[in-house]
Amino acid sequence: MDWNFFVQQLVNGVTLGSVYALIALGYTMVYGILKLLNFAHGEVYMMGAFAGYGILTAFGGALSLSINVVALIVLMLGAAMLGSGLLGVVIERFAYRPLRNAPRIAPLISALGVSFFLQSTALLLFGADFRSYETYEYIDLATGVHWGPLNISVVRIAVILTAVLLMVALMLLVNRTRLGKAMRATAFDREAAAMQGIDVDRVIVATFFIGSALAGAAGVMVGLVFYKVYHLMGFLAGLKGFTAAVVGGIGSIPGAMLGGLLIGLGEAFITGYVSSTFQDVFVFSILIALLLVRPSGLLGRADIQKV
Amino acid sequence: MSEVEGTPEGPKIGVDEWVERVEERTGLRTGWTAPIVALVEKIPPAGLLALAVGATALVPFLSSSDYVVRVAVNTVLFALLAVGLNVVVGWAGLLDLGFVAFYGFGAYLYSILSSDQFGVHWPTLLTIPVVVASSILLGLLLGLPSRRLLGDYLAIVTLFFAQIFVVLTTNADRITLPWNDGPTDITGGPNGITSIDPISIFGYDFGSTRSYLWLSLGVFTLVVVALQLVNHSRTGRAWRALREDPLAAEAMSMPVNRLKLLGFMFGAATAGLTGTIFAAVQLGVFPGNFEVPLLITIYAMVILGGAGSIPGVVIGAVLINVSLELLRDPAQARFLFYVTIGLGLLALLRPWQKLAAVAVGTIVFGFVAYQLAERLRPAWVSGSISGGRGSDLLDGWVIHPANSTHLGNAGFVLLIAAVIVISELRGVWRTVLLAPTLYLAAFVWENRLVAEPSVTRILLLGALLIVLMTWRPQGLLGTTRVEIV
Amino acid sequence: MSRLLELKALAKAFGGLQVIDGLDLHVDEGEIVSVIGPNGAGKTTLFNLITGVYEPDAGTILLGGRSLVGLPPHQITRLGVARTFQTLRLFLNMTVKENVMAAAYGRTRAGVVRSILRTPGMRREEREIHALAEEKLAFFGQRLMGYRWNQPAYSLSYANRRRLEIARATATGARLLLLDEPAAGMNPKETHEITELIGKLRTDGGYTILVIEHDMHVVEGISDRVVALDHGIKIAEGTFGAVATDPRVVEAYLGTKAAATK
Repeated sequence: MDWNFFVQQLVNGVTLGSVYALIALGYTMVYGILKLLNFAHGEVYMMGAFAGYGILTAFGGALSLSINVVALIVLMLGAAMLGSGLLGVVIERFAYRPLRNAPRIAPLISALGVSFFLQSTALLLFGADFRSYETYEYIDLATGVHWGPLNISVVRIAVILTAVLLMVALMLLVNRTRLGKAMRATAFDREAAAMQGIDVDRVIVATFFIGSALAGAAGVMVGLVFYKVYHLMGFLAGLKGFTAAVVGGIGSIPGAMLGGLLIGLGEAFITGYVSSTFQDVFVFSILIALLLVRPSGLLGRADIQKV
Repeated sequence: MSEVEGTPEGPKIGVDEWVERVEERTGLRTGWTAPIVALVEKIPPAGLLALAVGATALVPFLSSSDYVVRVAVNTVLFALLAVGLNVVVGWAGLLDLGFVAFYGFGAYLYSILSSDQFGVHWPTLLTIPVVVASSILLGLLLGLPSRRLLGDYLAIVTLFFAQIFVVLTTNADRITLPWNDGPTDITGGPNGITSIDPISIFGYDFGSTRSYLWLSLGVFTLVVVALQLVNHSRTGRAWRALREDPLAAEAMSMPVNRLKLLGFMFGAATAGLTGTIFAAVQLGVFPGNFEVPLLITIYAMVILGGAGSIPGVVIGAVLINVSLELLRDPAQARFLFYVTIGLGLLALLRPWQKLAAVAVGTIVFGFVAYQLAERLRPAWVSGSISGGRGSDLLDGWVIHPANSTHLGNAGFVLLIAAVIVISELRGVWRTVLLAPTLYLAAFVWENRLVAEPSVTRILLLGALLIVLMTWRPQGLLGTTRVEIV
Repeated sequence: MSRLLELKALAKAFGGLQVIDGLDLHVDEGEIVSVIGPNGAGKTTLFNLITGVYEPDAGTILLGGRSLVGLPPHQITRLGVARTFQTLRLFLNMTVKENVMAAAYGRTRAGVVRSILRTPGMRREEREIHALAEEKLAFFGQRLMGYRWNQPAYSLSYANRRRLEIARATATGARLLLLDEPAAGMNPKETHEITELIGKLRTDGGYTILVIEHDMHVVEGISDRVVALDHGIKIAEGTFGAVATDPRVVEAYLGTKAAATK
């Protein structure tokens, strides 16, 4: 067995997994509170990637960077998170809030509309060509950890660490702050939370902001590691992020992280060892199989149907 | 509209006065749809169908252009798809995002069974039943794991399925099969399958576009009649019941899972059948024919027309397909754009003084803006408006820079921001801001959107879905549904 | 009298909460049994267990000697148990008549092929469904007749919705009706009517009835036997008079005593 190849796929899987986990968090948080599947989430992630690209261009582009690299990446992440967060809030306000008491299918269709609207907006504004972060121009990819078969560039280390940092921050926010408490209460029972004096609308807006900001950060990370950003990138990533959320148990925050990691690893190993054309087919099969065996996911609880 | 949701305005829910106003609450017989609905209701369903089919059948006699007839064929195929999707979405209340894949599956299977791809040329009368049966089987296979799932899980599983279908058709040109040496080309990959046999029934070869129009109209009639009969049976009632409340339906002896699967299979069958005609008319199938943008087009048709109503979704299909055809030509697209905006204002702005003020305001704003731009930034008016009818009319009013892409993009972003701001405002400021926003819309249209028809169509369809769902979810002819009372 | 419904050692827990705890209960053919108990006593859960919405953790549920455990709700309904919902779950956007017609699904046969071909059998069945719905609605006097047939269910008043739920349940062909708070939200006159109606359901309709009710006047007026639940345990059983004065029942209701004797 080729250990170098195996470890390389492992690193790939963890990198992909941290991205999927960040996307899955947005799905799972919104689902937890609104029982709503935010189809447009993948497009929010795509817009985040473009926001990062915009910052790169604003500071001279990859070839003639006018700013320190660390500052650049911090700015990219900041802009993407802020931009995506605001976008998420606007989407909630205009596409979902008017439909909060509508039949379940209504916000889904509206979300479908948002998704396509954002996709073609990106196509209109940025064109159909791939844009590249060209990370290799301003970061020496040879630096990093080289230890036996383990070769991991500094960019990947930074991306994985940032993802972990963001997830820890999210856990702290949800478990330790007043807002987090309100979010948990709203997820548990929206009406009861409202009666307890929790401003449910504010909680929902905050949830959309945080979830979307995480997706925006994921967009920048993908740009840094895989370079390419384009208007269709959100579609499949969104589907996989959702799969990750389902695998972990939708509504569960640790579940989303675990699910993201599993889907990332699964995809990396399937791409490496089985087929690089049909890896999406396999991810899809995993989803179907899991839904058959354990519909509530790995860490999710089976919902008690209220009658 | 707002009383429908049960807001405090109007009589209290449940009192006699409220009960009396039921007609009004259904939202059909009031407002601007009232005359249309009254007209449609006067004609019995069979008459309506005969009228629509008869009128469409006459198209080849009214126009000698093959293009027009081809558009008519496409419209009928879209109407078929919309009617099929209506069973799943409108009647059974399931969000099936893999619908397009069944359409593609039907088209591909027909192509494989009737072309030189494998040298197989089955007779049509055998192929079509096989295709429909296979589509149903595929629907069953996809539906089985999803049957226990909530609406949103079903949606994502089917969306994945649609994506997988495109991946498979694009890549299944070098498949290694155990019983074959070397790779086998199943779908032709990105090049698709071409030179497909025409449909041939009892020795008659359908070749001309007009013969396909009549064939598809015949199929349309059969499908609509069959579906209408199913809708007026215990199965149709059970579908509606499960859409209203699955748990109560189950408790009232309806096997909800089986009914969902049944709806799903009906959708798959209709899509597969439509796919066969599509493949035969096109004489070729390609993976790109069945990508997700087609899905949103069909959804827009169903939602615009009113999910649940067959005449509604057919009208939706006609309106949207014809509009999309018009978008291809800048002059026609322009006409459509300004007429739609005009009609929209006419429907929404009351009293007429307000309407007049906004219209005059917009026109004046345009001339002023143009003059200012000409003085301050001559480059902003140095471009030319793309040709066609009405372009000279707009010259001197719409700012049109030589290189319109960047300014057009900026205008687009600004326009979205303006629409967001306007929808948050109330009262007089809303009206005041409307004029510059309309002008901005015209600017973006002339400088950016007209040049990118393929992007514009998806953009508009997406926006249409959002606006419809939040503003008039019942579409044109659907019935307002009361959810929480 | 023969046992129609028999529950033995029934148990159900949600998370750590034991909602039904070793419950034995039976309903004889033609009997009207009321289940009472304070909020959270497990009454609605009991109905959900019988109708198959939840599956019990332990115990048996027998209908005429046949086990219902593990069957999907629609099959349980076909075997003869139909219910109404405390929270009213009508098909709001269907007409009054359609609501009742839809519930005849389990007792009819015509599939989609026969529906498309409109075979004589299918047409006869359709006529029978119409007749059945009209008969079931006529049971309520003029309340649900005439022009109301073609009105959407959401246009009905609250009391009429409760009546329509009962009509819908009877259309399934069930012998045993489970009524979940049929008098909730009704005024005294309507409450009196519903009391008479439940009696009529037995005498004229031949139904056996298990009913959850908070209104003690209704319970007194209809019940052959009363079962009191508290925290999923049967604390008393017998005639209304015996149960209502049972010290354990009084204790369970303490604090809501006023409501109980209203």
